[in-house]
Amino acid sequence: MEKKDIIQSFKDSLFTGLIALALFGPIVGLRTASKGEGLFITPQWEVVFLLVGLCILGRFLINLNSARKTEITFFSKITSKFSVITEDKAKHFAITAILFAVVFPFLPFTDRYFMDVAIMILTYIMLGWGLNIVVGLAGLLDLGYVAFYAVGAYSYALIATTFGWSFWICLPLAGVFAAFFGILLGFPVLRLRGDYLAIVTLGFGEIIRIILINWYEVTNGPDGITGIPRPSFFGLPFKRSPDEGETSFHLFFNLEYSTMHRIIFLYYLILVLALITNYFTLKIRKLPVGRAWEALREDEIACKSLGVNPTNTKLTAFAIGAMFGGFAGSFFATRQAFISPESFTFIESAIIVAIVVLGGMGSQTGVVLASIFLIGITEMFRDLEQYRMIAFGGAMVLIMVFKPKGILANRKPTILMHGDKK
Amino acid sequence: MRNLLSVENLTMKFGGLTAIDDLSFDAKNNQITSIIGPNGAGKTTVFNCLTGFYKPTNGQMFLHKEDSKISLRKYTDFKIAYAAKVARTFQNIRLFPAMSVLENLLVAQHNELMVASGYSLFGLLNLKSYRDKEQLAVDKAKYWLDIIGLTHRADDNAGDLPYGDQRKLEIVRAMCIEPRLLCLDEPAAGLNPKESAELNKLLRFIKTEKQTGILLIEHDMSVVMGISDHVVVLNYGKKIFEGTADQTKNSKEVIEAYLGVDE
Repeated sequence: MEKKDIIQSFKDSLFTGLIALALFGPIVGLRTASKGEGLFITPQWEVVFLLVGLCILGRFLINLNSARKTEITFFSKITSKFSVITEDKAKHFAITAILFAVVFPFLPFTDRYFMDVAIMILTYIMLGWGLNIVVGLAGLLDLGYVAFYAVGAYSYALIATTFGWSFWICLPLAGVFAAFFGILLGFPVLRLRGDYLAIVTLGFGEIIRIILINWYEVTNGPDGITGIPRPSFFGLPFKRSPDEGETSFHLFFNLEYSTMHRIIFLYYLILVLALITNYFTLKIRKLPVGRAWEALREDEIACKSLGVNPTNTKLTAFAIGAMFGGFAGSFFATRQAFISPESFTFIESAIIVAIVVLGGMGSQTGVVLASIFLIGITEMFRDLEQYRMIAFGGAMVLIMVFKPKGILANRKPTILMHGDKK
Repeated sequence: MRNLLSVENLTMKFGGLTAIDDLSFDAKNNQITSIIGPNGAGKTTVFNCLTGFYKPTNGQMFLHKEDSKISLRKYTDFKIAYAAKVARTFQNIRLFPAMSVLENLLVAQHNELMVASGYSLFGLLNLKSYRDKEQLAVDKAKYWLDIIGLTHRADDNAGDLPYGDQRKLEIVRAMCIEPRLLCLDEPAAGLNPKESAELNKLLRFIKTEKQTGILLIEHDMSVVMGISDHVVVLNYGKKIFEGTADQTKNSKEVIEAYLGVDE
């Protein structure tokens, strides 16, 4: 590396420092404190200098690093580690991950908190897999996916509290309702693509949320729905003292009563639901309709010229994606036993889209990795309180810098003529 | 030889601009009919009308079957390929670049496969009837890939193929829907002389072996003159000449349209 380059990158990092100073100076440097009467400004320049110094140093290191492209650098080592994970290896990973997921509740370090986080991650994995059909395969950027999650949750809650039907009857019904809403959204947006589609779907998500808040007679408005029946283990409820004439889970199996039983059951429930979603997607991707989805993502005009009906193809993608969103919603409702419109805000949609995009569009394993990464990181940094969104954002930036197409961007053909060449 | 396509008084207006003005011509079965003309003459607009992308302002287009004729005006959008069996390729190649070559050819057989998979139900159950149909579709794809010599690249992404191969792939993809009429929009654009010669061979094969009529827009005169049975010359949306390749070469009107008139 030449001396000129070093001076150049040093100048560049000083400039970065200047920008950092302009930003951090007023934001961090000047702090208002109330002493007695009124507010006073307390400067804290030492923090500013620390931050600016970090920026200069970081920029300088990045510059040095990018100047030595041919050599093996710290960053490229990390990236090459990541790119080793291709779809082929992903298969082994998938089997290991499923085995781990199955034994997870019985591992020694697993406690209530871990289980809750695991259930949450699995819910997002399922939502990610559902949205992957719409965004990853059919290429329809849907920013209102949370609407179907909400429709599923509310249909489950309303049916279960009104008619008292069991989980296994309400679940498919909630899926059907969500699929119906998927078609409802699909019709007006058939002609839209890309940015325009994203805006309309975003609006749709908000419409559903606002209806849930305002349709007081049915949805109980912002107060939400309480007392949603908990799932039972094939008719055996998870209760300490069952009602007259009922046997509860722990009595039937002669176990000590523990709240963990229900949590573990919920865990396996969402694991099975998520795996069904995955299995279904992997299967349907290899069918004509799945190939038509991907073809539609690639080139809609070419699809039309080959006689592929774009209307039906898009609507099936919306409907099936929405159906899985609805299933996940039912699970959410039965797990929480309480739902309100607050759970279905835009940020949820954004997280699910982020999971699909960061995972690598259309990659099933990528969704798993991205969910663990994103949800895991926000949980890990829970102690940082309001700063954990920075960790979330930082994680996204890092993935986009090192893997611009997502963690797993390799697409494997749905059918091979020559078989696997190894 | 019987008529395959008859275009009668076709007119297409975009606002005040008349892109095609009262155009009539016929195309015969098992023949290659070329539409030529200077840039902006309305050639691609004719294609877009024929293949349902535009709805013509006026006029009729009929596709003749053995004993009946169907009006192409009735079909729009994807139904042209699905019901009327008119296939087309595009001036700028429109493959599915991130999908494999084989998948590209299977998407072209979407409608048959969709029925065979029981609209996905039989496919999800993995019934043998579906798997057999899928194998037939793969065989058909292989048949066409053998013809254009791309079988060894069947599992590669279509977008990774060289330009000339992409052109050929787009043509055989259109052939996979077993069209009555194949409309090719500048298939030789960007090809080198060797590739052009291969293209001529492929088009002749389709013409003679597949009982398909070909409608061709082309600027490459070596292709047009080498394989056309019939040439229609357009200028400013009007037909200025119609005849065999040799007649066209010697026509005064055509030379004027291309080279301008001596004052």
